[in-house]
Amino acid sequence: MTTLILILGVGLSLVGLLICMRLWLLPASKLNAKAGAAGVKLTAAVGFVVLPLLAVGVANYQTFEGVKEVSSCAGCHVMAPMVNDMLRKDSTSLAARHFNNRWIAEKQCYNCHSDYGLSGTIKSKGDGFRHLARYVTGSYKEPIEYHRSGGFYDNNNCLKCHAVTEKFQAVSSHGTLRANLSSSQTSCLNCHGPAHPTALQRTPGSKTYEALTHPPLLEASR
Amino acid sequence: MGESSNLDRREFLMGLAAIGGVGVLGAGSWGVLESMVPQAQAASWHKSVCRFCGNGCGVMVGMRDKKVVAIRGDFEATNKGFICVKGSLLSSLNTAGYGGNGTGRALKPKIRRGDQLVEVSWEEAMSLVAEKFATAIKTKGKNAVAFYGSGQLLTEETYTANKLFKGGIGTNNVDGNPRLCMASAAVGYTQVFGKDEPCGCYEDLDKAEVFFIIGANMAVAHQPSFERIKLTRKANPNCKIVVVDPRRCETAEVADLHLHIRPGYDLMLLNSMAYVIIKDNLANRDFVAKHCKFARMLPQLDAAGKPLLDEKGQALPPKEDNSLSLEEYGMLLEDYAPEKVAERIGISPHQIREVAHLFAKSKGTISCWTMGINQSSRGTASNNMLSALHLLTGQICKPGATPLSMTGQPNACGGVRDCGALSHLLPHGRLAANPKHREEVEEIWGLPKGTIAPGPGKHTIAMYRAMETGEIECLLVMCTNPAQSLPAGERYRRAMEKGFMVVAETFEDSETAKLADVILPAALWIEKEGVMGQTERRYQLVEKLLEPAGEARSDLQILVDLAERLDKAGVTTPGIIKSKTAREVWDEARKMSAKSVYNYEGMTWERMQKEHGIQWPCPTESHPGTARRYTRGDPMMSNPELEVEFYGQPDKRAKIWFRPWVNLPQEPSEQYPIILTTGRILEQWHTGTMTQRIKELNEAAGPATIEINVQDAHERNIQDGQLVTIESQFGKVQGKAKLSTGPRKGVCFAAFYDPSVFVNAVVSDAVDPMSFEPEFKVTAVSMSPAGDPVAPRS
Repeated sequence: MTTLILILGVGLSLVGLLICMRLWLLPASKLNAKAGAAGVKLTAAVGFVVLPLLAVGVANYQTFEGVKEVSSCAGCHVMAPMVNDMLRKDSTSLAARHFNNRWIAEKQCYNCHSDYGLSGTIKSKGDGFRHLARYVTGSYKEPIEYHRSGGFYDNNNCLKCHAVTEKFQAVSSHGTLRANLSSSQTSCLNCHGPAHPTALQRTPGSKTYEALTHPPLLEASR
Repeated sequence: MGESSNLDRREFLMGLAAIGGVGVLGAGSWGVLESMVPQAQAASWHKSVCRFCGNGCGVMVGMRDKKVVAIRGDFEATNKGFICVKGSLLSSLNTAGYGGNGTGRALKPKIRRGDQLVEVSWEEAMSLVAEKFATAIKTKGKNAVAFYGSGQLLTEETYTANKLFKGGIGTNNVDGNPRLCMASAAVGYTQVFGKDEPCGCYEDLDKAEVFFIIGANMAVAHQPSFERIKLTRKANPNCKIVVVDPRRCETAEVADLHLHIRPGYDLMLLNSMAYVIIKDNLANRDFVAKHCKFARMLPQLDAAGKPLLDEKGQALPPKEDNSLSLEEYGMLLEDYAPEKVAERIGISPHQIREVAHLFAKSKGTISCWTMGINQSSRGTASNNMLSALHLLTGQICKPGATPLSMTGQPNACGGVRDCGALSHLLPHGRLAANPKHREEVEEIWGLPKGTIAPGPGKHTIAMYRAMETGEIECLLVMCTNPAQSLPAGERYRRAMEKGFMVVAETFEDSETAKLADVILPAALWIEKEGVMGQTERRYQLVEKLLEPAGEARSDLQILVDLAERLDKAGVTTPGIIKSKTAREVWDEARKMSAKSVYNYEGMTWERMQKEHGIQWPCPTESHPGTARRYTRGDPMMSNPELEVEFYGQPDKRAKIWFRPWVNLPQEPSEQYPIILTTGRILEQWHTGTMTQRIKELNEAAGPATIEINVQDAHERNIQDGQLVTIESQFGKVQGKAKLSTGPRKGVCFAAFYDPSVFVNAVVSDAVDPMSFEPEFKVTAVSMSPAGDPVAPRS
């Protein structure tokens, strides 16, 4: 679907560009001539207004949907350790197990990192924009960590799938800890292990950094 | 249009303004989004260590406004970020008990006046303690006093107590709850390798192919390590988890192979596996020839086969024989052929063979065990045999292959075993019975020769029996709850009431504190600072982050105070305790360690503050620590490039012991037809003094139950939830029945965390003849319904 949208968007842009080029090259006399002026104006309206609006619409849709793909996350080099680890068959991180066992069928990064509901979608877009801004301006340092090293992953992203399972409910402390888990005061990761390579493993220059960043597994897996 | 493409000034400025506007909008949006990122729960994070079990997990403590607000597993520590639900709720620990969910935090010293414990000043309490101890020493001798410590005290505290009593007062009556927990492992390792403590490490859990888990319910008692084991299996399709347990426990539920043996028959199983390994030619003959020798104990007999007698007419003790060859050792094991013993063990011969083959043939086999092996009258022998299986097959001293005894308490290894704070030990692998070792310690501690008493002091059970008879008059109990944790509990509760018992405790309503003559309020976890050492020889620093509650003091402060008062009373070696802060004591201990193969001199306080735990040996500040002992890289070997060297033994050869089967002290009888075995559950730890105060844990665990096999219950007309009485020759207890197919038929199980279900009142106090660890796991009991049947659910 996203590929079709991409083709449509590119197509609209190209047509728009061609129309703009055509109008650019049109002699000024043609514009003043009464004959054909209506056609030129219509073309100009399509080229300058309709097509750009359609292209922007399609681009926005593509941006909103496309960034949900793992490939989109992998496009940023600070994400390489996470994505490479996730794709490794022998990795035991939570991300890799969810990915390799197809516990999450698609858009694996987005599924775990967008909060539940409409506000979650908006928040994840906001976070995406914020990350983009930091990436473009270079205002980040590796290894990336949650805000001020003290932020936290929202457990509700785990609970939205797991809380309803029989296995989850069979553990009595899951019940008594419900409030702590919902508020993320007690992290699911405490008992269930790291989701991704640790900050130390992702630190440039560390023993594991090179192995986690090369080769780019996403390319190889395609 | 081409003619109009040049922008005029106005158009240019408008364009510029538009670009600026977009920029400001973008930057503004970014700023707004940054400000919307949720605030961190904690204002600062601090590296620390979990207060509970011997897994020794690194934790990050999140602090805000001088309170603990969050706990996370430390991803940089040895546990790789894994902690269990108990550790996850450490944030409630220091407030539980006062102003929190419960009551009972000891805030002021108390002394007994009649039936009441009344609040007094520290001065009054400590004066009374010192006076009583000094009087007992002067009137009845040094052995009239004793110290009963804990694998939960910090290393500096245990080191100081040991020094004060053994070096200062001159009594070896220093023991502690590790006697109930790890003594069989400690003695077992020492007999095999010459020195205590495992040679492997947690990293081996990531590299093993076969996990042989025997007598350990790791899924609940060492959950973070068990999570790692499960991950290793996920990553390696050839990986197998074998669990040996008389109960289909949580660990057995996820095993590839579960040997549902009869309680107490571990040693017979291990001997049978050794038989199969030799008979089926699975032994690593080259490794055995290069690095091992065989050992057995033989009675000393004259030519006529009669016991040789000493001057007093008593039979001489058995003597060690090392003359056996591998073939002769195999012949000794003939009686343990699977077909001969499988039925007694309660499994099939095929299962024994299958496990023996898995053990020997894998690329790396790791054995993990805890109380199921140690708390047994055959505990040391079983420990010997576990090491023997690894030595016979060469499954040792390489990544993923090691006998790894899992520890029960967070500082049983570091404080008690390494600092030698059991009645038969001296620091850093020395023995009280060894004159050379005593001399070494006397020299290091600057004591006159002969200060340290020759021979072992009283082990735990003997200590409380001596209180019963009045031989021991004064006992200092620190950081432990023997009134709930000792076997044959009612008997020893009465013994505690007879003597003068001082209890340094965090909670004044523990079963032991209730019997105390003096309660000294003790600081808890991060209310004090010091080092803890866990299963894999790793030392980690706990830094002080909170002020002690009320007037509580660290156990070190209490010991230093007591030492000064006893010094003034003239009953200790003058000036015995010179190091008075945790840092000073740590420096003294690590310098002392340099004169042994336990060398951790390189672990300076500054390093401990920075690093996430270091494993000894670590002789210098630049040394990274040693993951695996007795193999390449161990700085204590005569040549660090050697492949293997068991340097703890004089001839550098580890001993493969022959340990014949000895009948159990308790077998099912007509009067007591069921075997009671005890253990732990996930949400509670030990006697529950801490975890029962944490609401979420307590609610998840509920009151302790008696887990009964459904067939046994049916035969006795016992229903699920009905009150039942469990009775042995030692005592009786009542609790609610929980019917299950987990325990074998003829076996029932109970956890000991709940003081309202005092299971240890029923448990046998028979001890292992070598480690003196009690037999908690096998007690013959009767079982009968006590309450009205529970109405069936509609």
